[in-house]
Formats: sequence, C-alpha cells, structure tokens
Amino acid sequence: MRAFVWLFMIAALFGVAIAVAYWFIAHREATGTALLGIMAAALAFTAGYAIVAERDARLEGDNPKESISDAAGEDLGIFTTHSSWPVLTALCVLAVLVGAVWAPLIGIAGLVCLLLCLWRLGAESARV
Amino acid sequence: MAVAAVHAGGIADHIHPEPQGFVRRYVFSLDHKIIGIQYIITAFVFFMLAGLLAEAIRTQLLNPGGGFVANGTYNEIYSIHGSTMVWLVTIPLLTGGFGNLVFPIMIGARDVAFPWLNMLSFWIFPVSGLMLFSSFLLGAPTAGWMEYPPVSLQGAAGTSMWCAAIFLVGVSSTMTGINFVVTILKMRAPGMTFTRMPLFVWGQFATAPLLMIATTALAAALAALFIERQFGVPFFDPAKGGSPVMWQHMFWFYSHPAVYIMILPAFGIISEVLPTFARKPIFGYKLIAFSSMSIALLGFMVWAHHMFTSGLAPFLQLPFMILTYVIGVPTGIKIFSWTATLFRGKIHYTTAMLFAIGFIALFTIGGITGIFLAAIPFDLHVHGTYFIVAHLHYVLVGGSLMGIFAGMYYWFPKMSGRLLNETLGKLHFWLFFIGFNLTFLPMHWLGMEGMPREVATYDPQFTFWNRFESFASYLMTFAILIFFFNAIWSIRNGKRAGANPWGARTLEWQIPSPPNYYNFKHVPTVYGLPYDFSTPLPYKGLDEELTDSPPVPAGAH
Ligand SMILES: [Cu+2]
Repeated sequence: MRAFVWLFMIAALFGVAIAVAYWFIAHREATGTALLGIMAAALAFTAGYAIVAERDARLEGDNPKESISDAAGEDLGIFTTHSSWPVLTALCVLAVLVGAVWAPLIGIAGLVCLLLCLWRLGAESARV
Repeated sequence: MAVAAVHAGGIADHIHPEPQGFVRRYVFSLDHKIIGIQYIITAFVFFMLAGLLAEAIRTQLLNPGGGFVANGTYNEIYSIHGSTMVWLVTIPLLTGGFGNLVFPIMIGARDVAFPWLNMLSFWIFPVSGLMLFSSFLLGAPTAGWMEYPPVSLQGAAGTSMWCAAIFLVGVSSTMTGINFVVTILKMRAPGMTFTRMPLFVWGQFATAPLLMIATTALAAALAALFIERQFGVPFFDPAKGGSPVMWQHMFWFYSHPAVYIMILPAFGIISEVLPTFARKPIFGYKLIAFSSMSIALLGFMVWAHHMFTSGLAPFLQLPFMILTYVIGVPTGIKIFSWTATLFRGKIHYTTAMLFAIGFIALFTIGGITGIFLAAIPFDLHVHGTYFIVAHLHYVLVGGSLMGIFAGMYYWFPKMSGRLLNETLGKLHFWLFFIGFNLTFLPMHWLGMEGMPREVATYDPQFTFWNRFESFASYLMTFAILIFFFNAIWSIRNGKRAGANPWGARTLEWQIPSPPNYYNFKHVPTVYGLPYDFSTPLPYKGLDEELTDSPPVPAGAH
C-alpha cells in the first residue's frame, strides 16, 4: 500500500513539475501543457484516492514477513465463471458507433441496448 | 480425488463448480487465463491479416512503377497495416494477452480485480477490429497509422470508421490498464511485496498507467477528428482556424508512450526467459524494475521528437532532443543487465531463449537508430524516409514481436499443456531472424539516400534493394507460417509439458498446465525473489498435491 501511494505521489509531483517547466520552456504552448497537466491530475487523483479511500487497508501482500496464518480464513468462495453481458455490451457499442457513422437510428437503438446491458452487467457482478 | 479427501469439509467444498460446456468455458468465460488466450488467438488472426497487407505492400514495391494495386489502394493498405499491427496485434497481445494469461498467477491471485471489466475489454477488441477492417468497404483511411490532418480530413468515409475503431481499442486498453493496476496493488499473495514481484509483473505495472493516462489523449484527439469529419467543428482544419499541429501534439503524446506500452511488457517477457534458461538469478533485479518505471515516466516527456519538421520552435526542439537521449539511459541499463545475466550462465538454447537473445540484438539496433533520430540535424535529413520505417520495425518487430514469440514458446505449455515443437521452433526463429534483417536492414540506406516512405512508386535507382527486401519478406512470412502450423499442430500432438517443463521458478509454473480455473487452492506465502536458482523455492503453502501431480492432458482439466 505504502509503496503504491509513494509511487503515484512522486509521479504526480513529477507531472506537475514538468507541466510547469514545459509551460515556460515552450513559451506558453497550450496543447502540451494541457496534456501534461491532465497527466499530473490523473496521477494525483489516483494518489489522492489511495490516501483517502484506502487509508485503513492492510494488505498481506505488502508485508514481507507475512505468514500463512495471517492470511487465513480466506477460501475460494463462490465466483461466477461465465457471463454473456460483456459480449452483448460490446455488440451494442458496435451499433452505437456504426450508427454514428452510418445510420443514426441504429445508433439510438444501440445506445438503449447498451444501457440495458450495462445495467444487467452491473447487477450480475454486484451479486458476487 | 485425493484432493477432496485431504480437504474434506474444508476448502474443496467451497469451490464453485467448474463451468460446463465448450461455449460457457471458452467463449463466455470470465477466467483471466481464458480471456488471455482469447486475446492471443484474436490478435494472431489480425496479425495474419496485417501480414497479408504487408506482403501486398512488398509486392507492390517489387517494381518502381508499382502495378500490383492502384496507388490509392496502396495508401489504404499501409494505413490499415500500421493501425492493425499497433492496436490490434502488439498492444492486445502484450497487455490483454500475455498480461491476462500469467501475471495474476505470478502474484498469487485467483483472478484479476474486475473480471467483468476484463471480459468487456476483450470483447470490445474484436468488435473494434471488425470496424477497422470494415473501413475498407467505405474507403479506408489513407494518411498512414498517424492520420495527420488535413489529409485525414479529406479521406473517404472509412476514416471516420477508423476513428471510431481506434477509439474503441483505446477504451479497451484503458479498462485493461485500470484492471491491472488495481490487481497488482490489491491482490498480491501474502509476502509478495513490490520488490519480490517477477519482472514481467513489473513490466505490466509500468505499462498499466500508460494505458490509463496516455490513451485518454488519443481518445480526445480521435473524438475531435471524428467530430470534425462528421459534424464540421473545425479542430484541425487550418482554413477554418483549426490547428493541424495540435493533432500531432495529441497523437504523439499518446503514441510515444504507446511505444513503451508495446515494449515494456516485452522487456518483462525477456526478463523471465533469460534467467530461466541461463539458470542464473537475473542481474540487477531492482535496476530492471525501476528502469521500467522511469522509462514509463520519461516516455511522457519526449513526444515532440516526432515533430522536429512540423515547424516546432528551436527552443522547444532542444529539450526534446536531450530528454530523448536521457531515456536511452534506463534502456541501456536493461540491456546491460540482461547481458550480465547471460554472462557465465548455463545457457539452454531453447526456441524461447533464441527469441530472447534475438530480441536483445535487434532491439539494440532499433534503440541505437532511435538515438540517431533524436539528433535534430539527422532527423531533419531522414524524416519521412525509409530510415524511419527501418527504425520502427527494428523496435516493434525486432523488439516487441520477438518478445511475443519468446513468450509464445515459453508460455504455450502453460496455456495448452503441450510443448511447441522445438525443431520447427528453431526453424521458425532462424528463417524469421534472417528474413527480418534482410528485409529491414537495407531500408536504412535506402532512407539515407532519400527514398520516401508511404509512396506507391519509387525512383528506378532503388529497384535492386526493394526487390531484395520483398523477396526477404516472403521468407519472413514463410517463417511465420511455420509458427502457425507449429501452434495448431502442437495443441493436439505436442509433447505433454507437465507443470514445469522449463524448471522455472515463478508461481505460474508451480501449478498444473493448464491451471485450474481458480489457479490456487491455497494462496501461497512468498518470502523471496523468484530468481535465485541455488535456493529452494521461495513459496510456502503451495498445494502440494498439485505441484507433484503428473502432467495434465491438454483440454482435460
Ligand atoms: Cu517517440
């Protein structure tokens, strides 16, 4: 956990530093500054999320002296091994984009089906 | 059955029944290993199509006047060849394919963090490939895989299809990146600290943020191009106040990191294959791991070295030139570490090892021409010539693709339970290695002499070397056909592999081949690096009944 937070914090600071440096070196070239800024923001968001949402996490994987008994109690449990929603979702995405290029009606129908599929996919994955 | 007896009333009771039927097991699967295999098979299908396009290119170039296809069609062919090889072959194979196949097992996890997301990433990928190739029906894009405006604004309707298709691959990559980062961060087995992770996992860990962050820049650029083409909002058209250079900034802000998306996982494969077949701990584990991370970060700071001829101000060219030299340092550290790993090792020349050594040789050549190209005066001289084509193929074929083949020979037994035929494998390696060099080495001097890339015809003075390259490329294709034959034949008739045919030490080799769908009955505890061949395995609590089990017949798990 700590290693993860540090990696992303350092990367985010680095991103901020080069975005600022680029702004001045490039005499206010906007595209590159914006892209580097977005990069820094994305890294900072991940680091921030890790600090806030995961502050209580204690991962066995981070402890070099972890023994089997520390991770005990966990068993395989039940997990779903197959699903058809991702396949249907992908087909709906195809309809949306083909529709956008070709025929708007196909696109709209695809969008409706896409929302339906994502809803079912979410429901199925939440059940496990 | 002894398994059930040992754990009666225990863990075995909790195991969810295995999926029944071919379709549920292999098509609608949520299992990361099956998804990895789906990625690999799909990507190799696209690889065949892209290879056909490549041979169409080489056949056209047999004669200075062309004549094999119409000049306009030639433009479509190389555009789709490049797009396919980058987005539908190399990136999916190295991340979704090999990544899914082995890295969760390597860190002692039972699956990735988000199996549904994983499956969705896969299924979006063939759909986008379908869209990319269907752009031929509408008039495919003609501005190369980079699709610079204003040419891409003038392209036929298929160019919009191209935008949509590549956007979709981008969505798929981003989802894979998120999935892999979370899996590596949260699902490592007890004791699998960051500095004990196998180097292939480090390769995936360095790649995943690139997939997440860089791909968004590409998605934005593609969306803008799509909107401009379909709805006329002027982002890039200079006549309407747009900026074509903005496309180049956004495209290369993605596409230089994308080069590392295509090479860091291949570095990881090489870092697994070399110590296994040299029977020696990898030299400089931390150096290799951290140089991957620094390559990933530095990779975001060099994009404009592709734009030295775009009218970039001189004060901006210089830092990009220097930073490109700097990124050569961590890359050099890796090559040094691999060479030092080979030094005085007991080297077993298996096919996987040959491809790994071939990788080091060819990638070094590609890396060195990259250093040439970082020098602004040299870049201005060869920009848009065949020198660039030579450089990028040495990096992406001599590098990434050789790494992919090394991975195929190395992990095929883990996928299928059978070994690939070594004799055919060695034939594949040598014909491919020779054919590749004869095809792409002459491009260096053709480029220096000024032969432009992406043109359907050429000056008669270049005829000899172009014919030479075309014939050599047929040899390369023949070598790849041997590989396909070998793979298809070996699934049924290959030698039984057993759990660990190479005597390798990472976790995926300590469970049966192919692994059970839940990977580990007991998640093992890790207490050391996987690469020290002189010590006992650094794992405790592995399923003993599994490690000593007889070879599992292919397809009978
Ligand atoms: Cu670059």
